[in-house]
Amino acid sequence: MTDQNKTIEQQGSSRSETMTRRMFRLALSMTGFQVGLAIFGLLVLAALILPEISSVSATKIAVRERFLPPFFFEGGSLTHLAGTDQLGRDLFLRSLIGLRNALGIGVASVVLMFLLGATLGIISGYFGGWVDTILMRITDAQLSVPIIILAITILGVTRPNVFTIIAVLVLAGWPVYARVVRSVALAERQREYVRGAKILGASDIRTMLIMIAPNILPPVAFVAVLDIARMMIFEALFGFIGIGIQPPTPTFGNIIADGTKYIINYWWIPTMPGIFLILALLSINMMGSSLERARNKIFAGMH
Amino acid sequence: MTFILTFLLRRITQGVVIVSLVSFLIFTLLRVIPGDPVRMMLGPMATPAVMEQKAEELGLRDPITTQFGRYIENMMNGDLGESYLLGESGGAAPSAQNTGGGSVTDEQIVERTKTKSNRAKVLKLIADGLPYTMQLAGLGLLFTLLISLPLGIAGGLKPEKWQDRLAFFTGSFFISLPNFWLALVLILLISTKMNLLPAIGYKGFAYTILPAIVLAIELSPVMIRGLSVSIASNLSQGFVDGGILRGLPWSRIVWRHIIRNSSIPMLNLFGVQIGGLLLGGVFVVEYIFDFPGIGKLTIQAVLQRDFPIIQGVAIFAAAFLVFVNILVDLIATYIDRRLNY
Repeated sequence: MTDQNKTIEQQGSSRSETMTRRMFRLALSMTGFQVGLAIFGLLVLAALILPEISSVSATKIAVRERFLPPFFFEGGSLTHLAGTDQLGRDLFLRSLIGLRNALGIGVASVVLMFLLGATLGIISGYFGGWVDTILMRITDAQLSVPIIILAITILGVTRPNVFTIIAVLVLAGWPVYARVVRSVALAERQREYVRGAKILGASDIRTMLIMIAPNILPPVAFVAVLDIARMMIFEALFGFIGIGIQPPTPTFGNIIADGTKYIINYWWIPTMPGIFLILALLSINMMGSSLERARNKIFAGMH
Repeated sequence: MTFILTFLLRRITQGVVIVSLVSFLIFTLLRVIPGDPVRMMLGPMATPAVMEQKAEELGLRDPITTQFGRYIENMMNGDLGESYLLGESGGAAPSAQNTGGGSVTDEQIVERTKTKSNRAKVLKLIADGLPYTMQLAGLGLLFTLLISLPLGIAGGLKPEKWQDRLAFFTGSFFISLPNFWLALVLILLISTKMNLLPAIGYKGFAYTILPAIVLAIELSPVMIRGLSVSIASNLSQGFVDGGILRGLPWSRIVWRHIIRNSSIPMLNLFGVQIGGLLLGGVFVVEYIFDFPGIGKLTIQAVLQRDFPIIQGVAIFAAAFLVFVNILVDLIATYIDRRLNY
């Protein structure tokens, strides 16, 4: 943090608070962010605690209790808030465990693709030349293959598990970050403070890690929050096509895919997990969009 | 005129490099990862000797570079190869897989898959699916524009007002709807329960509407956000105040100045994001709605390890995206003459 403050001061900014913190504070004051944070907090707490303390099992088959509707419908009970599926498993708990898996995969893949993309992007923008040319042509090529083709090609022919899924998402997602970070790094390289540091004899690695990275990465990271939701949708989609985490581990995708056969008579089996997924995505997207707006406003000098 | 020519020449060369890179990546990927297409072709009854013979025949045991060279050579002649599994008529090619039980001799298995001509050409399969996919994509884009133009423009023109909030929340909500789930729920509600629109398969234009709506809901958040951001930023530009001083009516400032200036970032957004999203979305939506386009073809090909189809579609998709991006830059220079790519 202190280094960051220093670099801002070196730029001649009179404010002592860093840009990142100002953006964060502005986002925090937005209704969208607060609502999103509240929903997200509730869901995460529920996903972490409830499956551990509940007396109902998410994977145990109970044929006598199958096809129970959600509690607000006739025939539903409070033990199974969101009803039960074709094998009598509790949909509420299954959705929460699905949420755990989806969130874990979403966060892990975005963090990794951010790190990979940012590293290559800074290197590319900082050094320029043939390194830059090669890296950028690779991102071009990779950006012209839709994620979904890449993903189903790899996952369709290998045995999908948590690690291959994360790997596929990272592989598909890093080029965007590399491109964005590279374009900012390219501009940053010309700045006075970078040239000053170089004249003082700072090494390339030191300049990149301590000077450039803390200045350009936080705004990119803000927008990365939105990608967590996107990756969660992909994870669910993989599960739905049958190339995600395999049953019996509940994921949104495989619960919905299993329930599709029963959709006409027992609509809640595919619908309920979908509603949980949408709530989670909505909360993340609201936080992410608020952060993005705050960033845009600060960049435009409106606050 | 020379500008256009050098521009096209440069971009097309770059495009060829990108497409070749993509084809080599996909080609290598398909051969490195496990999963034997010969097993899928011949079925579980085939002996290792027969499988080896078939693999030799298809050239699958040659080095990857040799295989790739052969593939590129054929591609230059307009031949993307033949599907491993699909027959000419569109159904599955005769293979041992369909035999329920009983003893099948190796000779029979070989005989059934030997006649090369009854396997469908990849190029023809893509050409068959293309009109359907284009129809779906076109209608999807039309719906996207119908949703996002009013919301995005109104939101951008009135920052911090209810229009802006409406655009923000609609965008956040739409982007949170997973396309496959939305497709299921719409099929259940609109097609099965209310009987308003047909959904599964394709028997006429009406079958395009529901998939196109799902596609539009997936695409519009990106458009809404992009539009409102770029319009809002143009609002604070000097030419807006200038227009007011010159006594121009507000509607003219909005339409001729603000929206025209905002159309460049929108076009770029189209090239970079919408193209990719559209392709990805079409695949999933076609798969769920059993819509007979390229997307369904590809997902089935992947699940059955039908390499030639996957390669063909990946190359086709990459070429399409390159083309869209060149087109976008050309239109952008036409709208704003200051741009010089």
